[in-house]
Amino acid sequence: MNDSLKDQTGNIERLVKASQAGDRGTFDELVRLYQMRAMKIAVRMLGNTNEAAEAVQSGFVKAYLNIDRLREPKRFEAWFFRIIANTAISQRRAAQCRAEKIKIAGGCGSKKVLSPVEGQIGEELKEAIRRAMLKLSKKEAKAIALFGMEDLSREKVAEIMGCSSETVRWYVFRARQKLKVLLKEYLE
Amino acid sequence: MVCIPGKAKIKGIAERVSGMNKEKENIDLLLKRNVSEQLAGVNWDELNAAISKKLNQAGRSKTRTVKYRRVFKIAAGIAAAAAVVLIAVTVRTDTPTTVRFENGGKAVVKFVESKGSASVELKHTSTKAAVMVDVGASLRRVAKCDIEIIDASVDKEKNGRQAAWIIIRMPEPVLADNGVSRDETDFACLM
Repeated sequence: MNDSLKDQTGNIERLVKASQAGDRGTFDELVRLYQMRAMKIAVRMLGNTNEAAEAVQSGFVKAYLNIDRLREPKRFEAWFFRIIANTAISQRRAAQCRAEKIKIAGGCGSKKVLSPVEGQIGEELKEAIRRAMLKLSKKEAKAIALFGMEDLSREKVAEIMGCSSETVRWYVFRARQKLKVLLKEYLE
Repeated sequence: MVCIPGKAKIKGIAERVSGMNKEKENIDLLLKRNVSEQLAGVNWDELNAAISKKLNQAGRSKTRTVKYRRVFKIAAGIAAAAAVVLIAVTVRTDTPTTVRFENGGKAVVKFVESKGSASVELKHTSTKAAVMVDVGASLRRVAKCDIEIIDASVDKEKNGRQAAWIIIRMPEPVLADNGVSRDETDFACLM
């Protein structure tokens, strides 16, 4: 572990301990430090910023209300990301119901092929990704969302998910296989 | 026997692996680009303010919960302390104390609250009397029981009962034997 990472971990530990002691200001500091990464995970899982923002807000509230139960402040990150992932999973259920209703009402029209590598991702492709993500199992969605975070190692993802890193690898593989089929038209 | 694949087969496998990797990269890239494009439109200050607002609301309910929890804890503490006192009293009442009087008599007293000195008003005729018991240094309590003293001079055959017995009428009457030859002041008293 390099010095800057040690400093950062020590700083977070200090903020967590102060928050556990009831200092609301330090929790706000944690919010500022983690809101972007939390949003990244939620957007990856839900495919929609509004739903992701709702999940992130609920996640922060849950973390705030339960921070005194966190026994090891140095494990805050894994603990917090687990809360975010679980809250996003709960949010997904509501999103899945909405998606089903839209499907019954007649789908979302014809598909337009867009390259993921070049150009902007259109609204239609965003919707297709969102629907595809909703079709993954909870664990597959969690694994691919967390695995896609550049700063999270496979071991860290395994810690967040509460399973082995080999299992994480398997879930990521399965998720990619499913997404390959579901987004086939957009990947050609 | 070792089967070595031909050049064409190796090339085919390599192309397949390369194709799979390409697909994998494309999926990852697609997801990554989707996230970065969606996050580009996020107003972080607004999100921060929304989180802060929710935390304030949660903080208020948390304070209320903590307050109620504290009241509940105090109430539970009082109830537990009362239970401990009750248990202690019950345990103590199981241990009787023998008290001696100036005239040589004695009484066995079970104290309800704490150990102390006891004095018993003596009656030499058959009567009912209240037992006075000092519990501790300052408390003076009158026992809630009637004592029937049987006159020792009365012939056993006449009343059909043996002298030197004290019958204390309590919810659970207790008989105490002080020996046949002792006088009636040697008795047992149960609180």
